[in-house]
Amino acid sequence: MDNKTVETISYLARLKLDKDKKDKITKDLENIINFVDELQDINTDDVTPLANPLEKTAPKRKDFVNSKDRKEVFLENSPQSDQDYFIVPKVVE
Amino acid sequence: MSWETVIGLEVHAQLSTSTKLFSSASTKFGSEPNTQVDLVDLGLPGVLPVVNKDAFKKAITFGLAINADINQESTFDRKNYFYPDLPKGYQITQMTQPIVEGGSIEINVDGNIKTINITRAHLEEDAGKSIHDAYPDKSVIDLNRAGTPLLEIVSEPEISSAKEAVSYMKALHQLVTFLDVCDGDMSQGSLRCDANVSIRKVGDSELGTRTEIKNINSFKFIEKAINFEIKRQIKVLENGDKVIQETRLYDSLKDETRPMRSKEFANDYRYFPDPDLLPVIISDDEMDEIKDSFPELPNEKSKRYISELKIDENEAQIVSSSRELSIFFELAVDSESDPKLAANLLVGEIGSLLNKDNIKINESNLSSDNFNTLLKRISDGTISKKIAKTVLADIWDSGKDADEIIKNQGLVQIQDESIIQDVAQKILEANPDQVAAFKGGKDKLFGFFVGQVMKETQGKANPKSVNDILKKLLS
Repeated sequence: MDNKTVETISYLARLKLDKDKKDKITKDLENIINFVDELQDINTDDVTPLANPLEKTAPKRKDFVNSKDRKEVFLENSPQSDQDYFIVPKVVE
Repeated sequence: MSWETVIGLEVHAQLSTSTKLFSSASTKFGSEPNTQVDLVDLGLPGVLPVVNKDAFKKAITFGLAINADINQESTFDRKNYFYPDLPKGYQITQMTQPIVEGGSIEINVDGNIKTINITRAHLEEDAGKSIHDAYPDKSVIDLNRAGTPLLEIVSEPEISSAKEAVSYMKALHQLVTFLDVCDGDMSQGSLRCDANVSIRKVGDSELGTRTEIKNINSFKFIEKAINFEIKRQIKVLENGDKVIQETRLYDSLKDETRPMRSKEFANDYRYFPDPDLLPVIISDDEMDEIKDSFPELPNEKSKRYISELKIDENEAQIVSSSRELSIFFELAVDSESDPKLAANLLVGEIGSLLNKDNIKINESNLSSDNFNTLLKRISDGTISKKIAKTVLADIWDSGKDADEIIKNQGLVQIQDESIIQDVAQKILEANPDQVAAFKGGKDKLFGFFVGQVMKETQGKANPKSVNDILKKLLS
């Protein structure tokens, strides 16, 4: 784990870290990775990856509409909105 | 130097379910913004997604139709990226265990059949819609579409021209609409595609560097965008430069592709299994249920129309080629209405009206019930086929009942032979020169007499009687 990797990860997570924080997180992540690293010693060649630790399967929902229009509440609770839309900084490709 | 093109398409088909993939909010198109949003679609903390059974049914139906393997156990992963129309900060998709793997689709390019193999088709959720022109310095977000189920159908890179790409897209369009998997409305974005395009020297075994053209939403633009991109890449390579792997957008106004604003870092989606979603198991019973309700496909329909209903092959193919048309046809035809006549009118008269107005049959004023009435009135001799066209044109404009039009406009066919005989007699008397010429061997004039009688009776005389009577009078 080096500073550069932490910078990449924090960029992807849109987190702004100052130098001190970056150093601390680098060290923390280093420790975590070392801690789980011993798992690498186990041979998992013939093991199917586990999708979910609960030994259950997904319930399925019937396809009928059962949801109210809560537009006003949702828009009211957003940082910025007009009567129809959520307003966000300009994002244009 | 000669070059060859390698194209792979990723097609996103919006599944025609009533609700979203993971929430019970409606997926209806064109509603007021942000009125079809559930807590799950909004990505609020503490909510849990629950899969839509019908989305799986539709995905599996598609898989069966292309002879693919169905993974009766499939899982969901998170694809992580930030964009304002993606409230959760990740898209739920199927990276590791897609519902459908393999299979193939046949395409027809200028009469040649080619098979395009399918890599996979997986379920995922659509994002919301960003609108950029509402405010000068802000974008706005409508989340009605967020969470709408998509089936992403990924082809192998086996498509070798823009033309083939269009044929592939058309074949897919026909298939998904017939299967009732997707409504196929490209103008509403129900079916859209990303094209991966690369160029290599003929004979090279390695693929060239590809670019991806995003979100093309019409058959015409697929052809134009790919052709532009092929030419652009050839030019780059012939100048001794390298094609850069990038995502491009097609601008239909300028007819060109251009790079999307590139990000400082390459995309790194950090896929991982979604801990909120358990593996989805489709039981053998559920599979049987889906197989039992598998719809009849165009080829089978066409064969049935020909063998059971004695429809002309060409007409059977046209009627069966579109889902709307075949449903309409099947509803209109019963024991008292002639299927051959129905197919004939659908392909001929109605076909040209549809083309003229550029609409689908279910968007027209003609209902299958009303068409059924019209067919019966032709079969039982109330009106002639010629008059039927007048009635049809009226229905087309007014949507009125066929019987009402026939009654109100006095279009009932003249069956009484004595009336026709009187009219015919008058016509012959009024045109002695033509009669003489006909008797002198100008056979073609027979049509003239028929035309005159029809004109005099406003097209209402039974054509067969007119023929018989004129023949008798002129002999």
